[in-house]
Amino acid sequence: MASTANAIKAILDTLNDIILGKEQITKLALACLLAKGHLLIEDVPGVGKTTLAHSLASTLGLSFQRVQFTSDMLPADILGVSVFDRKTQQFTFHKGPIFCQLLLTDEINRTTPRTQSALLEAMEERQISIEGETYDLVEPFFVIATQNPSNQIGTFPLPESQLDRFLMRIKIGYPDAHAERQLLLGQNSRDKLKQLQAVISPEQLLTIQTEVENIHTSAAIIDYIQQLLEHTRNSDLFHFGLSPRAGLGMLRAAQAWALIAGRQQVLPEDVQAVIASIVNHRLQTRDAYLDRDVVAELISHVAIP
Amino acid sequence: MLGLTLGALPHFYYQPIWVAIIFLAMIGWRCMNIWRAWPLPSKRYKKQRWLQLSIAAFAVTLLLLHYGNLIGRDAGVALLTVMLGIKVTEIRSSRDFYLSSFLGYFLVVTNFFYSQSIGTAALMFVVVIIMTASLISLNDLTQSIHTKFKLKLAGKMLLQAVPLMILLFVLFPRIAGPLWGLPDDAYNAKTGIDDSMTLGKISQLIQSDEIAFRVEFADKIPTQSSLYWRGPVLWHTDGTTWTALDEKQYTANPPEIVSSGEIYRYSTTLEAHNNKWLFALDFPTQLPTDEKTHFTQDGQLRSDDNIKQRIQYQLSSQTQYTLNAGHDEFLQLALQLPENQHPRTQQLAQQWRQQTTHPHEIIELALNHFNQQDFYYTLSPTPLSGDTIDQFLFETRRGFCEHYAASFTVLMRAAGVPTRVVTGYQGGEINPINNVLVIRQRDAHAWTEVWIQGKGWIRIDPTAAVSKERIEQGMSMVMPLTMRSPLLIAQSQKLAELWQALRNNLDALDNKWNQWILAYGPKLQKEFLAKLGMSSPDWQKMVAWLVASISIVLLIISLFIFYRRKHHDPIARLYQTFCNRVALERGISEGPLDFANRLKQYYPDNAIEIDHITQLYINLHYGNQSASIEQLKQYVNRFKPQK
Repeated sequence: MASTANAIKAILDTLNDIILGKEQITKLALACLLAKGHLLIEDVPGVGKTTLAHSLASTLGLSFQRVQFTSDMLPADILGVSVFDRKTQQFTFHKGPIFCQLLLTDEINRTTPRTQSALLEAMEERQISIEGETYDLVEPFFVIATQNPSNQIGTFPLPESQLDRFLMRIKIGYPDAHAERQLLLGQNSRDKLKQLQAVISPEQLLTIQTEVENIHTSAAIIDYIQQLLEHTRNSDLFHFGLSPRAGLGMLRAAQAWALIAGRQQVLPEDVQAVIASIVNHRLQTRDAYLDRDVVAELISHVAIP
Repeated sequence: MLGLTLGALPHFYYQPIWVAIIFLAMIGWRCMNIWRAWPLPSKRYKKQRWLQLSIAAFAVTLLLLHYGNLIGRDAGVALLTVMLGIKVTEIRSSRDFYLSSFLGYFLVVTNFFYSQSIGTAALMFVVVIIMTASLISLNDLTQSIHTKFKLKLAGKMLLQAVPLMILLFVLFPRIAGPLWGLPDDAYNAKTGIDDSMTLGKISQLIQSDEIAFRVEFADKIPTQSSLYWRGPVLWHTDGTTWTALDEKQYTANPPEIVSSGEIYRYSTTLEAHNNKWLFALDFPTQLPTDEKTHFTQDGQLRSDDNIKQRIQYQLSSQTQYTLNAGHDEFLQLALQLPENQHPRTQQLAQQWRQQTTHPHEIIELALNHFNQQDFYYTLSPTPLSGDTIDQFLFETRRGFCEHYAASFTVLMRAAGVPTRVVTGYQGGEINPINNVLVIRQRDAHAWTEVWIQGKGWIRIDPTAAVSKERIEQGMSMVMPLTMRSPLLIAQSQKLAELWQALRNNLDALDNKWNQWILAYGPKLQKEFLAKLGMSSPDWQKMVAWLVASISIVLLIISLFIFYRRKHHDPIARLYQTFCNRVALERGISEGPLDFANRLKQYYPDNAIEIDHITQLYINLHYGNQSASIEQLKQYVNRFKPQK
């Protein structure tokens, strides 16, 4: 118990040392991984997306692969490829970068839908199928993807099905004045990254993930999440309501948030804290409501049981 | 807006066309305002206000010109419709909107002044749902509820009102007479037979599919050819128009009847026709017990008052009878003919008169004449002018029952045989679904009665001499099926048959609706309540029952809600008590921790207690740790915020 709390505190401290002034964001990113979810970081270039992903991998002690997505990438570049071996007169499978614990796919929306969808099975089933063979991926397995806002040039927007597989989408945003000043004064974060030590082992991470699942959720919280989902489905604001997968994700993320906050039970506040990062990329608002904070409205419309 | 339009729709049928035009123009204007941002009349611009005022004044003037006043059913409803239309264009605040909605509900009610059929009720149900939904959307300030959901909610609210509706329907004391006192003009424009006849009048009637009455026979149904439903008896003629005796003569002695043969018992549901006669199968054995009626000398069954609403009466009839066999007071009237008219007809009658003096034989001669000369029975006779009888008998020879009845009577009278015209309905159609005989306006018929010494008034139907099918098989056989169906359907025989089957089903349903819902008057109510065990129900008792049962229903509902709340969650209730005690209000979406933080800023002195209570509540409500409710109760009870 205490060790978990300490571990989490240590992780967050390390992260916040590198990503300055973004406590809330690092917490969300951590919660996402603790809830066994994949993370999508969307923002303009240069605000520290890759740095966040990289430092998460390092502090959690995960084997780490990074793929820079480009428009001419093929699925084999991620999954791996069978090559004919002269010596053995057989095809041998050369594992691609996906065989790792944390895959950082940089600028995922720069590549074609074909390559994007190669990630689909891996992300949901945690296994891949190539040439009739199924390969299990290692545990834990995460994808952290970064993408540029889709209105920038040369992007292929992720389809809804792919978006739905990311538990959270977070935006980092520009640092505030104080953090930015520190950033300018301080050590280069690349150097810091290289010096990073793992705070926990992958085994420990698995234990914490189990703890997340055991955080108590009362009937009231289940009701609350259900009513939130229901509201998105009945509301005029959105094209489609939230999927059951989104609901399950909301629950897991809220549990993770509760654990990070050091509690043994989920509170409505936990749900409210994570909901924006979970629903924002899943809900398509109707045009008329573009300028409104629909998530805030969603929260304010549903009574807490 | 859609609700308003739908609600007003049935009215257009009854109102002059320009009412509909104004109403729709106003609604259209408003729609254009919403979609295309057309300017609306606004208070700021004097010109536009004048425009609006002048439209209103124009409409009122038109109404005054058309109806003569603004009071009464038709004028009142038309005024409501027009003004509601104009009101829609000046909806600015939510107050206006509420007003229009409530007026809309009122408009719904007025629909029932005209029609109380299932269709109307169903349509109005839909209108009420739409209007309730628009009220809901008015109260949904952020406009975040889906339209489908609003409609669902409105439907749910309406369904929740159903128990109360049923109670009110069953128990609300019914008064004799129509549901509400309608002004006199409410009974205009009823189609149906009349107490006068001119050639061509009944053939107009047969275009109408409207139901005149329905008859349910208790056991056996007489043969089609004996289904003569007697209505007004016409005596006097001025050559073109035939009229009945006047009211005073009607009150003379009842007729002498000797009847025999099988007794048919039946119950008749007569649609309102705003006249006094009731239709009965010739000839009833006694007066119906359930209505105030009397027989006239010429055998009509008449009600004491005009039939202003659908009534039901029980009768039994025997189809073999003699009527006034001994003598008849009005015999002389049955020989009356206008002077110096119908010369050729008179001549023909004199010819027969010279052949024989026996009335039987004269009748025989006349019927043979119709049968053997080339007379045709047609639903669209050639229009007649001038001396219509002569023209028909000697020139066109194409006619409908009234032509034959009228010319036969003239012939008989000219030959010295007392004869009169009887109008009413003949035949009818059995609905195979519920075995009810449906008599429509198109079954209207005219036949004659001839008086023969010792035998009394004998029914002679000259139409039968020309077209046997009309009498033996009924009107529906003479009219091709396709002619009785709407134009489009008439293209194919199969569709027409399908249409017929559909209509039979609908009519059976309609009949039940009439008998159970609309006919639920004071009498049925008494019977029904007596069955429920209320002895001798009078209106005071009913009101008492009504109040009592409504209170019981409300009590059950409130107990249910209370029970649910109480047993739902004692923890939530305790926390609510705590929330009620502080000056700050907890938002519906404010979590307990957030609320506690806000409270602690407001009541810094109570921070510890607030934390305690919040922690206990969290553990109890959201956690699985066994905290004690008692402890929470103590804390909450002891909690006194200090500012």
